[in-house]
Amino acid sequence: MLLIEADGKALFRDYGLVVPNGVLVTERGGLPASLPGPLMVKAQVPAGGRGKAGGILRCADTAAAAGAVDRLLGTSLRGHAVEACLVEPVASGRECYLSVMLDAAAGAARITFLAEGGVEVESQAASLGPEATRLCALDATAMRMALEAVTAGLPPLEAAAIRQAGQGLIHLFLERELMLVEVNPLFLTVESCIAGDAKVVLDLNAIHRQPALEAMILARPRLYADACRKLTEGFDYVELDAEGRIGLITTGAGLSMMLVDELVARGARPLNFLDIRTGQLRGSPARLIRVLDWIAARPSVRVLFVNIFAGITDQREFAMLLAEALAANPVRGVPVVARLVGNGAAEARAALAERRPDILLFEDLEAAMARAAALAA
Amino acid sequence: MNHPLASLSRATPVLVQGASGRMGRRHMLLMRDYGTRIVAGTSAREAGGSIEGIPLFAGCAEAVAATGAIASVCMVPPLEVLAAATEAIAAGIRLIVTIAEGVPVHDAVRLRGLARAQGAIWLGASTPGCAIPGQVKLGFLPDVALRPGPVALLTKSGTLSYEVGYRLAGIGLGQSLWIGVGGDAVKGTRFAELLPVLAASAATEAVVLIGEVGGTEEEEFAAALSRAPLGRPVLVLLAGREAKEGVAMGHAGALTYGGMGSLASKAASLATAGVEVCGSMQALVDRCAALLGRRG
Repeated sequence: MLLIEADGKALFRDYGLVVPNGVLVTERGGLPASLPGPLMVKAQVPAGGRGKAGGILRCADTAAAAGAVDRLLGTSLRGHAVEACLVEPVASGRECYLSVMLDAAAGAARITFLAEGGVEVESQAASLGPEATRLCALDATAMRMALEAVTAGLPPLEAAAIRQAGQGLIHLFLERELMLVEVNPLFLTVESCIAGDAKVVLDLNAIHRQPALEAMILARPRLYADACRKLTEGFDYVELDAEGRIGLITTGAGLSMMLVDELVARGARPLNFLDIRTGQLRGSPARLIRVLDWIAARPSVRVLFVNIFAGITDQREFAMLLAEALAANPVRGVPVVARLVGNGAAEARAALAERRPDILLFEDLEAAMARAAALAA
Repeated sequence: MNHPLASLSRATPVLVQGASGRMGRRHMLLMRDYGTRIVAGTSAREAGGSIEGIPLFAGCAEAVAATGAIASVCMVPPLEVLAAATEAIAAGIRLIVTIAEGVPVHDAVRLRGLARAQGAIWLGASTPGCAIPGQVKLGFLPDVALRPGPVALLTKSGTLSYEVGYRLAGIGLGQSLWIGVGGDAVKGTRFAELLPVLAASAATEAVVLIGEVGGTEEEEFAAALSRAPLGRPVLVLLAGREAKEGVAMGHAGALTYGGMGSLASKAASLATAGVEVCGSMQALVDRCAALLGRRG
């Protein structure tokens, strides 16, 4: 998952990189007057393309910056609510690009340095030559050698400054088990460099052996709502549309994603993505009730859509847990469309029909989706 | 051909690592019920004992020496996968299937490097497994969707492939082989690396590839297919059109940031390679029926 810039920069600072001395403002009127201009005001959302979306503004003085903060806070930027702005003195120097990433295709680390940064670097990455980007083994020595290779063309003082920053990034990347650390722009002066931005993608699979990162995520339960939920609950629930009309009770990441796509294609608005992992319910409706509570918190929801393909899990057991959970939280009595298929599904549908005759039961997913979409319209 | 997935059959001797755990025990017996030749399990706790006639060993080296296992299904928790798979490969296992969700990506990079250096094939980090329907399954693909037939099914997702496999099986179109590569960012075997296995599969009349948003695996597959065409139709379904940027949608690999890994990029590359990208599950099933005919 992508961290906000302010958290990325906090990690940079821990590993010896120089970052502008900024403040994080979370309330209108919260910008201290002591910060002299010119200033950068940057919306803190975990998404790329903030500049193009109008979330990064250069302001001549403190008053202009305060106005920019007030305008940005509370807006939505690239699908995320802006709950904080990072306000920093404008850094100067030549704009470069430096990154350390996992190259998933190669199954290796990749170090990239470009003497000219800018917002379009990502789109050219594929066409870079070995003087700019190198693949290497995932260890400190190989990565240091790759860093030296991609900075070989620089004058000695500049090379030393970039390599010092790069070494910090490499250690950060390895010790925190990251997937990407990117600095774009990296401001280079004759003998030092300053990280103008920070893009850090961490690996949630490694989070339980990275307590500092875990604490960083848990400290921002609103900004990192989806990740916090995954860490504290042990499964994936992602809210897609706060005004969505179909609450989804689904299992399996791929099928759940596809259902969302197909419902949207039918003109419906799903509230959420969910991979509840039926195999982990272990006879308790608690997890189902948690999800129903989150769904019920959105008044726009008009229908619940349950889709469970049980390869291994027994549908009879799941159906009874579903009935228990719906008894605990009926979500204002909105209609329930349930499609159960697989292991024990026929018996499960029969048992559910007896206990909850109001639930609309389906064997066929196409018919179930059409019904859910119609009820939500 | 000397690829362990191309020679996988009901005769392949299979080891289960973590055999005495809750998941390991259950799936070991389900695999055996399906027809898989399970010859051994490993268990630190119950070494020397057995589970329903399957002998348990303390480690892979003893298990392989005693039984000749050449494939392993590794059913240990995610943070233990690297060590367990390393042990299996060192013991001479040629095909290793890891099931656990949540293997750290840096561990996956190390394991991928190790498997390649030793000439072993690794499916995972997190895969529902693979199968030659009617003969053998490694992992927990649901029997209700497995049926021998003409379609080679390659997939990142478990559940979405179950749904598609189930619908296809329902119109008589079963699978020649079914391989889950997993939804992880870094994995043991990528779609493109399976092309030689597909080319060698005489029973395969068409390929269905189930991809999803994130990464560049579908693009690599398209490029490799352009270089070495299969001469058989390839149909693709892509999930995650509505995925939220910067958040992994259940699968660590299904993470987009910037333009990388977008569905538009994948669909464009695949179309260039002559692959049909289908807009929905039903559209894919209908195209398969049109190309191959419904079969009783």
